[in-house]
Amino acid sequence: MLKSLKVGLFAGALATATSLAGNALAQDAAAGEKVFKKCAACHAVGEGAKNKVGPQLNNVIGRTAGGVEGYKYSKPMIEAGGGGLIWEAETLAGYLANPRKFMKGTKMSFAGLKKEDDLANVIAYLATFSEGAEPAAEEPKAEETEQKSETPSGNSSVAAAPATLAKDAEVPSHGIFHLGRVALEEEITAWDIDVRPDGAGLPKGKGTVAQGDEIFAEQCAVCHGDFGEGKDRWPVLAGGQDTLTKERPEKTVGSYWPYLSTVYDYVRRTMPFGNARSLSDDEVYALTAYILYLNDVVTDEEFELSDSNFNEVRLPNEANFIVDNRTEETHYADKKEPCMKDCIAEPAKVTMRAAVLDVTPDSEEGEGGGSIE
Amino acid sequence: MSDKTTQKDSVNLSRRSLLTKGAAAGGALVAGAVSARAASPDPLITEIQDWNRYLGDGVDAKPYGVPSQFESNVVRRDVAWLTADPKSSVNFTPLHELDGIITPNGLCFERHHGGIAEINPADHRLMINGLVDTPLVFTLEDLKRFPRENRVYFLECAANSGMEWRGAQLNGCQFTHGMVHNVMYTGVPLKHILNEAGVKPEGKWILPEGADAAAMTRSIPLEKAMDDCMIAFKMNGEALRPEQGYPVRLVVPGWEGNMWIKWLRRIEIGDEPWHQREETSKYTDLLADGTARRFTWEMDVKSVITNPSPQAPITHGRGATVLTGLAWSGFGKIARVDVSIDGGRNWETARIDGPSLSKSVHRFYYDFDWDGSELFLQSRAIDEMGNVQPTKNELRAARGVNSIYHNNSIQTWQIKPDGSAENVEIS
Repeated sequence: MLKSLKVGLFAGALATATSLAGNALAQDAAAGEKVFKKCAACHAVGEGAKNKVGPQLNNVIGRTAGGVEGYKYSKPMIEAGGGGLIWEAETLAGYLANPRKFMKGTKMSFAGLKKEDDLANVIAYLATFSEGAEPAAEEPKAEETEQKSETPSGNSSVAAAPATLAKDAEVPSHGIFHLGRVALEEEITAWDIDVRPDGAGLPKGKGTVAQGDEIFAEQCAVCHGDFGEGKDRWPVLAGGQDTLTKERPEKTVGSYWPYLSTVYDYVRRTMPFGNARSLSDDEVYALTAYILYLNDVVTDEEFELSDSNFNEVRLPNEANFIVDNRTEETHYADKKEPCMKDCIAEPAKVTMRAAVLDVTPDSEEGEGGGSIE
Repeated sequence: MSDKTTQKDSVNLSRRSLLTKGAAAGGALVAGAVSARAASPDPLITEIQDWNRYLGDGVDAKPYGVPSQFESNVVRRDVAWLTADPKSSVNFTPLHELDGIITPNGLCFERHHGGIAEINPADHRLMINGLVDTPLVFTLEDLKRFPRENRVYFLECAANSGMEWRGAQLNGCQFTHGMVHNVMYTGVPLKHILNEAGVKPEGKWILPEGADAAAMTRSIPLEKAMDDCMIAFKMNGEALRPEQGYPVRLVVPGWEGNMWIKWLRRIEIGDEPWHQREETSKYTDLLADGTARRFTWEMDVKSVITNPSPQAPITHGRGATVLTGLAWSGFGKIARVDVSIDGGRNWETARIDGPSLSKSVHRFYYDFDWDGSELFLQSRAIDEMGNVQPTKNELRAARGVNSIYHNNSIQTWQIKPDGSAENVEIS
């Protein structure tokens, strides 16, 4: 009961702080039900409420943060719960006012309730679905709430599930089917990190070869080798110039890749392998500069790559990429009716056997040539 | 029972032994299988068997059904030496164990660049941004409210058969041709999703992106996106498997497998391609002169004989023999498949059975009377556009041997007098 007592206290404190003391809290809950429509897309509350995009909110008041079983919370939320965060009127008000400010890394993609009335009302509404806290919503006075909250209330199941009626659902105006919602600018910024050869998408930033050298040794060399030579079968990043027509071409950033933007884009989106998106934009500039240095595209250790000089760098193999012209190959271009009888003069003779190489799995250990990359 | 087990074991043994170098020259014929007359009554018939006397499992013994214990050999397999790490690797569909045209979900080959993303569908979002009137975010529930369609398509990795450019290397169609599967997808035409956001007139390309640790991306021309691409959430009637992009993947019919972005979370619309890693450094086709083709999207006309093949030798004697295989083309339907049993000197047209659908695999059969002599089996597919599957030498003459991708050449299996088979090249 200690928790519910606290809830009552906080509810009272909040009401005072937001100058709502004069309003009947029961009315607040009714107003809160309307505010909750903003939340209902992701959260269920009431009898039989299940986890949706967000966790179900029955008994949220007094609950430890990250405490609903079966819901996959963000790491920060679980850590906050482990650190003792309990959802009470005050903490909830802080969270709902600006979720991402209150808890960096929360999964809740909700901008926040800016009006204090809305905050107080929606919390009052949620309190009606929280055991112990429930009377807080029913009683008009804070003092009485404190007393009441000590008595067990077993009537939470009596509360009607406030399911939004289908006819009341908001239908967006965009598009043909009116489905989905408008993406927020912050959301687009979070995901749209691709970079094109013309430099479109490059973030502001800079980094030198020497800085990249250090980061590379720490983050990349374990797979790619100190000089980009590639360990085991991990990708080789440097060298291989003039091997493209040889028996074993070495396709590296310097020998093969057409555009530097691809290096920046790929490292930023996926590297280091197993810890993607952990490098800062400046670190990615530094690593890109270092890869240029490993490939002798730049030779000065003090060279600094930045968003302003990025487009001046050209990779040597750019001109050797051509459009798909497969259909011009004789065997396609001809499209002739193939031979059916006596097509080859001599009987077939075996010229090569797979068993000789012996690289098929389940056979003895062996390594074949070629790669699927 | 014991006799049955013995027989099963001997079949397994002979199959397994074929996969080893030493026994490859050994016989594939199962002792006794060739006798035309029984010397004594078959105890499997004359004795009451356990399964005939005792009750089996009831319903719900396995709420999600699994194959018979006797099919435990029917699995995907990898080739460990191909890649550095299983998180960025590939395994292969056991084509030689399958029939018809549909690949069972659990046997569809896997190719991941950053492991299998595990995503609760309630946590998944699909964003459309870039050159659109209204950038949008969809939940899976939103996507399921667009009009759906069902389509059967093959998905082939551009590197399928890529290990065979320099010559016969892997002994089994699972390994030479197993980076292909064929599935019925349920989903929503991509055009509905793009139109919902409203593509601006200058929008010419899309960039689909995965939610996995490789954040897989490919540039696709808008024309294709608006033509037959789909956003799929079901495969063969059930939810996508995690390894196939659960909860949502892109379907790009007839085009390179890695364009079918799994765990699809974003589609950007732009006026130019992005030249991402998987369309520059990889999935570009290096030619003999050192130039490289890029944006080689369509998967070419191709076929392979799945049975008999090195992992599925002939285990009976001479006489009635079923030869079967698969044919497909990224340009449409398969018009015809020819089969040769003498290494391409003479050809006969095979029988296609089962649905003939555009950009789907076709199942072909060639039923013949094997006389027990050595054979060189080949199949040659021709698609409805008139494209003819080339020989290995024709492809090498045009491209050299460093292309890795788009090897659609004719495969040869040598059948030996003992019924065993080997991947060979012939003159």
